[in-house]
Amino acid sequence: MVDNEPGVLARVVGLFSGRGYNIESLSVSEVDSDRFLSRVTIVTSGTKIIVDQIKAQLKKLIPVHDLLDITELDSFIGKELILIKLNVKSITRKSFEDVIHKTKTNILFDKGNEVIIQFSGSPSEIRSLLKKLKPFKIIEQTRSGLVSMALGTKYIKK
Amino acid sequence: MKKITGAKVVIETLIQENVEVIFGYPGGAVLPIYDEIFKQKKIRHILVRHEQAAVHAAEGYARSTGKVGVVLVTSGPGATNTVTGLTDAMMDSIPIVCISGQVPTHMIGNDAFQEADIVGITRPCTKHNYLVKDVTKLAGVIHSAFNICINGRPGPVLVDIPKDIQTFKTVYKGKKAYKDNRYYKPKVKPDDEKINEIVKLMTESSKPIFYVGGGVINSGTKASKELFRLIKKTSFPCTQTLMGLGAFPTSDNQFIGMLGMHGTYEANHSMHKSDLLLCVGARFDDRITGKVSGFSPESKKVHMDIDPSSFNKSVNVDLTVQGDLYRILSAINKRIEEKKIIFSKNKIKQWWIQINKWRSRNCLRYKNSKEIIKPQFALERLNKLTEKLNPFITTEVGQHQMWAAQFLSFNKPKHWMTSGGLGTMGYGLPAAMGVQIAHPKELVIDVAGEASILMNIQEMSTIKQYKLPVKIFILNNHYMGMVKQWQELLHGNRLSESYMESLPDFVKLAESFGARGIQVLKPNDLDEAINEMISIKGPVICDVVVDPNENCFPMIPSGSTHDQMLLGPNDKVEGEISEEGMVLV
Repeated sequence: MVDNEPGVLARVVGLFSGRGYNIESLSVSEVDSDRFLSRVTIVTSGTKIIVDQIKAQLKKLIPVHDLLDITELDSFIGKELILIKLNVKSITRKSFEDVIHKTKTNILFDKGNEVIIQFSGSPSEIRSLLKKLKPFKIIEQTRSGLVSMALGTKYIKK
Repeated sequence: MKKITGAKVVIETLIQENVEVIFGYPGGAVLPIYDEIFKQKKIRHILVRHEQAAVHAAEGYARSTGKVGVVLVTSGPGATNTVTGLTDAMMDSIPIVCISGQVPTHMIGNDAFQEADIVGITRPCTKHNYLVKDVTKLAGVIHSAFNICINGRPGPVLVDIPKDIQTFKTVYKGKKAYKDNRYYKPKVKPDDEKINEIVKLMTESSKPIFYVGGGVINSGTKASKELFRLIKKTSFPCTQTLMGLGAFPTSDNQFIGMLGMHGTYEANHSMHKSDLLLCVGARFDDRITGKVSGFSPESKKVHMDIDPSSFNKSVNVDLTVQGDLYRILSAINKRIEEKKIIFSKNKIKQWWIQINKWRSRNCLRYKNSKEIIKPQFALERLNKLTEKLNPFITTEVGQHQMWAAQFLSFNKPKHWMTSGGLGTMGYGLPAAMGVQIAHPKELVIDVAGEASILMNIQEMSTIKQYKLPVKIFILNNHYMGMVKQWQELLHGNRLSESYMESLPDFVKLAESFGARGIQVLKPNDLDEAINEMISIKGPVICDVVVDPNENCFPMIPSGSTHDQMLLGPNDKVEGEISEEGMVLV
C-alpha cells in the first residue's frame, strides 16, 4: 500500500533494479481516492534471505504504508487478466467456440475472422487456456500483472 | 495571516528547525532563496567552492554535533555535483537536508537551461526526496525532510524547489501545523523479551565480544555512555568498526582494536573464535566480515540496530533486536541491575588470556627509520602531541585513513569523521571545514594523502574566506597508496597510473591561500613541525614526506577469513588469491 504520488512507482521499481532483484509481474492502481493510496502487487522470487531483504527494503521507502507477503499466508487468491486477439477461420470456428465455452471466456469483439477474447484467472489457468488456443492463430495478447487478496482476516493496512 | 513567498517559507522553516548554518553555492534557480538569506541574520551561510564540498562540510557539521547538516544548491550542475556527497551521507547514515533549486514548473521536462531531473537522479542515493510543485505544500515538505533525515536510521533528504514555487506566495503557519508524518514512525523501543534473551546469552557466554558500529554514535552521546557502562560491567572485550571508533574509548584496555580488513590481529581473531557476538549498530559490511561463509563460525550472533533491513542481510544472526541503541543498551543495563546479575570475571578469564596472547603479537608494529618518516610514526607522533587537546579528526580515503584509524586515539564519540561506506576521496577537507564551523575553538585535523587532498583542494579558498584554522596533515608518499598496495599484492606490482606525478608544492599552495605551509622530510623534525602546526592560529598544510614503500598492515586479503591475516610485508598469501577474491573490491 503506497501513497499515490509522482515517482512512487519509480522508487519501488528502482529498488528492485538497483539491488538486482527480479520483478516477474507488477500491477498498480489507486484503491483509495480520498487518501490517495495505491495498491501495488509484485511477483518476485528468491531465497528466503533475499525475499526478506526485499521486504525490509520496501518497508523502508517512505511512501510505503504497509506490505503483505501473501505467500506467507495459508490461502490467497491471485488473478490475472488476459486479452487475446485471434484470427479464426470458419473451418476452425466450431472447435474455437468449444474452447471458449468450456473455459468460460468472454468474447469482446467478433467481426469476420477477427475475434478478441477476455479471460481472467490464475496464472496456471491462463497458461492452460493459451495451450488450448494453440491450434488457432493468435495475433496478439496482453496480460495484466497478478492482483491478489488474502482469504480470512488478514488484509493490508492503509 | 500574512502571505509570504516560497523562498521566505524556506528560511522560516529552517529557522523553526533551529538551523544555524547552511553550506551552499548560489545559482539562477535559487536566487529568490539567496535573496532571503541576504535579508536575514539568523542563519549563517557558508559559501563553498564546489557543491560536493557543501555536502561533505554539512556531513562534518552533522557528525560532530548530532544536528542536521543543511545544503543549498542551484539546479542542474549545482544539484548533480551533490550526488557523491549525498551517496556518502546515505552510506554512512548522516542526517542531511539538501535543498536544490529547479527550473520553473512549466519548464520541467523541456530540457531547459540548467535543468536536471535531480529527484530521479538522487532517488537511490537519498533516504527520501521531494519535488515541490505546490507552494502550499512547501513548508510541510521541508519539516518532513527534517523529521525523516534524523529519525530512524539517519540519511540525506533532498527537496527540489522550482523557481516559480520560490516566488509564489502562501501562508506559513509554524512548524506544529505541518505534522503530517503520520506513518514515518520507526520503531525505537526494543521488545522486552529480547532484552531478557540478550542478558541470558551474556551470562552464558565464555567467549563474548562486543562488535560496535557507527549506529551507537548516531544514537547520541547517551548511547555511548550506556555502552561504556555495559562493557565495564561485563568486562567483555570490545572491537569497533571504522564508523564506530570513539563510541567506546579506544584507550581503554577492554578495547582490542578496530576489526576488519585492516583491523588488529586480536580483534579479528577474537571475532573468529568468539561464542557470542554482540553487534551493536554495525551492519556486517564486507570490509568487516571478509569471506562471509567463514565469518565468526562458532558464535551466537545478536544484532541490535534501528534498521531492520540490516538484519540477516549478509550474515545470518540468531537474535535481532530492533530499536534505538540508547534504549536497547539502557534496557540491558537496567535488566542486569534489576536481576542483580554479576558477571564473573572467572568465566571469561581464559578468553582474556587468549586475547592477550593475540595482542602480544603487536600487529601494528612497524620498522622505524632514522632516515625517512614512516607514516605510522608520523601518526603516532601526531597522536602523542595532540591527544590532550582531544582533536576532531577527519580523513580522506586510502592508506592514511587506515593508519589514522589504527594509530590515533578516539576517546569520545563524534570526534572522528571519515568516509566509511562510500570511501570518498576528497571527503576530509570539506568535512573538516564543517567540523570547524561547528567548533570554532577546537583543534580540527584533516589527515590526508597527497592524492585525496587534491580532489577538493579548491576548498582552501573557503577556508581562507572564513578564516577556518583547519590543520591539513598530509602523509605524502607520492602514490595513491592503497591502489599501489593492491597492485603490489594482486597485480604483479604493475603500478598502473597510481603514481602521483606533478604534485603541487604544498607549502606554496598553502601560502597562496593565505595559510601556512610546512614541509617535513626527516623523522627528527617531525615533532617540531607538529607542534608548530598546532600553535599556529590559522589554517596550516603540513606536508609530511613519508616512505613510499610502506604498506598498510595487518590486512585480510580479499576472499579470506579473519584468521588468515597478513601481518606485514614478509607475510605472503598462502597460495594464489582465489578468483573469487580477485574480483572483490
